[in-house]
Amino acid sequence: MPEEASLVEVLEVIGTLTRERRFAQVIEIASRLHQTVDLTRELIGAALEQRLVSNTQNGLRLTEDGETLVRKHREEYVHRTYVHGRSMADRVRGVLEGRVTDWHGHWHRHGFDDESIHDFHRSMENLQGRIEDTVSLADLTEGEKCTIVLAAGGHGMIRRLAEMGLTPGTEARVVRSAPMHGPIEVSVRGVSLALGRGIAIRVLVRRLRDSESRA
Amino acid sequence: MQAKRTLTVCLAGNANVGKSAIFNQLTGLNQTIGNWPGKTVEHAEGTLHFKGYTIRIIDLPGTYSMSAYSMEEVVSRDYIAVERPDVVVNVVDASALERNLYLTIQLLELNPPLVIALNQIDFAAKKGITVDTKKLSEMLGAPVAATVATTGIGMQELLSKVVEVAEKATRSTDIKYGQEIEASIEKLELSVKTGLSRLSSRYPPRWIAAKLLERDEDVLRKVELDKGDAIISQATEIADQIEQVHGEPSSVVMASERYSLASRIAGASVRIVSPPRVDMSQRLDAVTAHKIFGYPVLAGIVASVFSIVFVAGDAMIGVLEGLFSLVLVPATQTFLSMALPPVAVQLISGGVVWGIGAAVTIVLPYIIPFYILLGILEDSGYLPRAAFLMDNVMHKIGLHGKAFIPLLLGFGCNVPACVGCRIMETDRERFLAGFVVTLIPCAARTVIILGLVGRYLGMAAALALYLFDLSLVFLLGRVAFKILPGEPVGLIMEMPPYRMPAVKSVLKKTWARTKDFVYVAFPFIVGGSVVLQFLSVTRLTSTIADFMSPLTTSWLGLPPIAGIPLVFGVLRKELTLVLLADLAGTFDFSSILTPVQMIVFTIVTMIYIPCVATMAALAREFGAKRAAAVVILDSILAILVGGLAYHILSFAV
Repeated sequence: MPEEASLVEVLEVIGTLTRERRFAQVIEIASRLHQTVDLTRELIGAALEQRLVSNTQNGLRLTEDGETLVRKHREEYVHRTYVHGRSMADRVRGVLEGRVTDWHGHWHRHGFDDESIHDFHRSMENLQGRIEDTVSLADLTEGEKCTIVLAAGGHGMIRRLAEMGLTPGTEARVVRSAPMHGPIEVSVRGVSLALGRGIAIRVLVRRLRDSESRA
Repeated sequence: MQAKRTLTVCLAGNANVGKSAIFNQLTGLNQTIGNWPGKTVEHAEGTLHFKGYTIRIIDLPGTYSMSAYSMEEVVSRDYIAVERPDVVVNVVDASALERNLYLTIQLLELNPPLVIALNQIDFAAKKGITVDTKKLSEMLGAPVAATVATTGIGMQELLSKVVEVAEKATRSTDIKYGQEIEASIEKLELSVKTGLSRLSSRYPPRWIAAKLLERDEDVLRKVELDKGDAIISQATEIADQIEQVHGEPSSVVMASERYSLASRIAGASVRIVSPPRVDMSQRLDAVTAHKIFGYPVLAGIVASVFSIVFVAGDAMIGVLEGLFSLVLVPATQTFLSMALPPVAVQLISGGVVWGIGAAVTIVLPYIIPFYILLGILEDSGYLPRAAFLMDNVMHKIGLHGKAFIPLLLGFGCNVPACVGCRIMETDRERFLAGFVVTLIPCAARTVIILGLVGRYLGMAAALALYLFDLSLVFLLGRVAFKILPGEPVGLIMEMPPYRMPAVKSVLKKTWARTKDFVYVAFPFIVGGSVVLQFLSVTRLTSTIADFMSPLTTSWLGLPPIAGIPLVFGVLRKELTLVLLADLAGTFDFSSILTPVQMIVFTIVTMIYIPCVATMAALAREFGAKRAAAVVILDSILAILVGGLAYHILSFAV
């Protein structure tokens, strides 16, 4: 049995089921989280008590507070995992920044303009599944395959990535990476693209096992 | 019947698909290369005759998209929409059809009379891919000609289709998107048609609608000018809705939409005959882009390029310089002195003829061999590998890997390097790269380092000076990167497969670039030479040297005569040595300069004002104001560093 799920993970699953227009109920949630029904029921009980979810005739639904919590959780996760790189300097910077209270101003400092922040929040809301299931493109090893989930960054960068063929849902394969935090070469739509490490870190992907690959 | 006898055809396509090769096949030597009016975007044009038609061919810049994000893309789409060429030929790479069709779909939105040149079918076949041209043509609603540009296969067929489309004047038809996006576009298109009469007579209303949905800045501005505020707010509302549903920016949603169309069309027309296997290109990449082996390969290639250029240059330069200084200049002198006063003779022979000599002696020996090797490197596809390997180093000075390419050119000559900065995406990056490039020791500066410091103080000292200059480049790049406002851009670059470079294409590129160099540099070198000759005839040079003497003698610690060569060095940096020898009446520099003076003299010539040709290139690429800023900055820097070096070294020695 995997680690015990947290409250926010339950909320993420409920949000995803809603977006998939499926009936969110305890058994389904438990199976998606690989948890026992009892534990799941306990967590949902806590969520109901805190008014993060509500019981409707279409099953469980996130309340506004619940949505906000999920978004904040994902925002923090993306900030920690993707926007701050894995170099020593980045980690130190991450620690020094401490707990962010003014997210908006903070994203600005990371090079997101208002429009990009707006888009980023939308993507966070619409992200299917758990944010913890995504990894950074820069984390994949040579030969690994993945599907693109989203890119966190300024408007221009996201758009250029999309135009070069890295649209959400696209399958990509890491061909090689240059040493010392150099760029990463990915094969996408039959073309090889080199992406700088700073960009590759901010591309969120889901790992694909060989059997899942379409190609 | 006298039909329209001249046709205008433009070539559009991604980079690295053989578009230029098709252009060369079609136009041969009848081509001119310049810039689009008012833009630093290359404009290539050529003509050919076919079936009684005179066909003007315009090679649009290679782009991946038709958005407003780069100058090249705006130039291309405005050309197609506003100038309305008789036919647009879209060159697509058969081996990567899906990706290439992304641009095709955007071209179709502009409804031009379209012909597809399905290029590199030989290369695709090697990868086990065949394309059903009939199916492709049916799905796109445009004729398709299969071509192999490198060998000229399919050119006749392509031209026949172009003429056919031009005669019928068939405009391509719209391509339908998915239901949701299609409905939004149609709704907006209707408002555009009725509300924006002026703009929709220039651009297809459907295209305006699609661009509004993407929040294309250029189109938004145009609509605003056409008093389309109501339409903008309608478009914003629809785009917001789309974003709400998809959770992505509308531009990304549109890109996904186009790619899914491209994928469907490619899927229906491509047949994979044999499974992909490791080809030659991938095997080469296993070494040339390798984490460790890639670097010695890169160093080896760079070293051999420059040693070839220097060996070839050295051999030719002796002959040419002899020709000019011993034969042509004295000959014009004797010839002209029969008819003209001595001052005019000196201005013409010493200014014009000698200036032409100075220009020719850089172009022939250094520039041409350098351009040939550059053409080979470019056509082989190696340069993106170099950029890939050097990306993290370039990031230290705020640029990404692609900037390594102009920097590398800078070691040969700063002029093509300035032009080479065009590959950078934003204005900021172009300028930053351009600034760094002027500090790169070009061939002429290397000659001074070798001829003065290398010869008298040993190769170790020369190498140390070279490394000093490079660390200065690095440091200043970093400072400029911090000072210039704006965000650094990351690397997003295609890595095209390796190809065998074709002799014809390399020679043509060399020819075109040499011509461009001559146009940019010659007037300045010759003009500068006349001005300097005038100064020396009127004895103003010594006045200038006197004026500069506090600087040259006290601060830099150089002998008084060193001021004049430094002034003349603006024409061509290696002239400083020749002039110094002239003025001192000896080629033995050790008799006129102390070792410290040699180092200081070399440092100053290395850094101060870029030569006139570079100044001209800077002004063309970045505008006079910014060029002047670079010139002033470099000069101050040279005096500062040179003076510091003098004081530190004379204290230490």
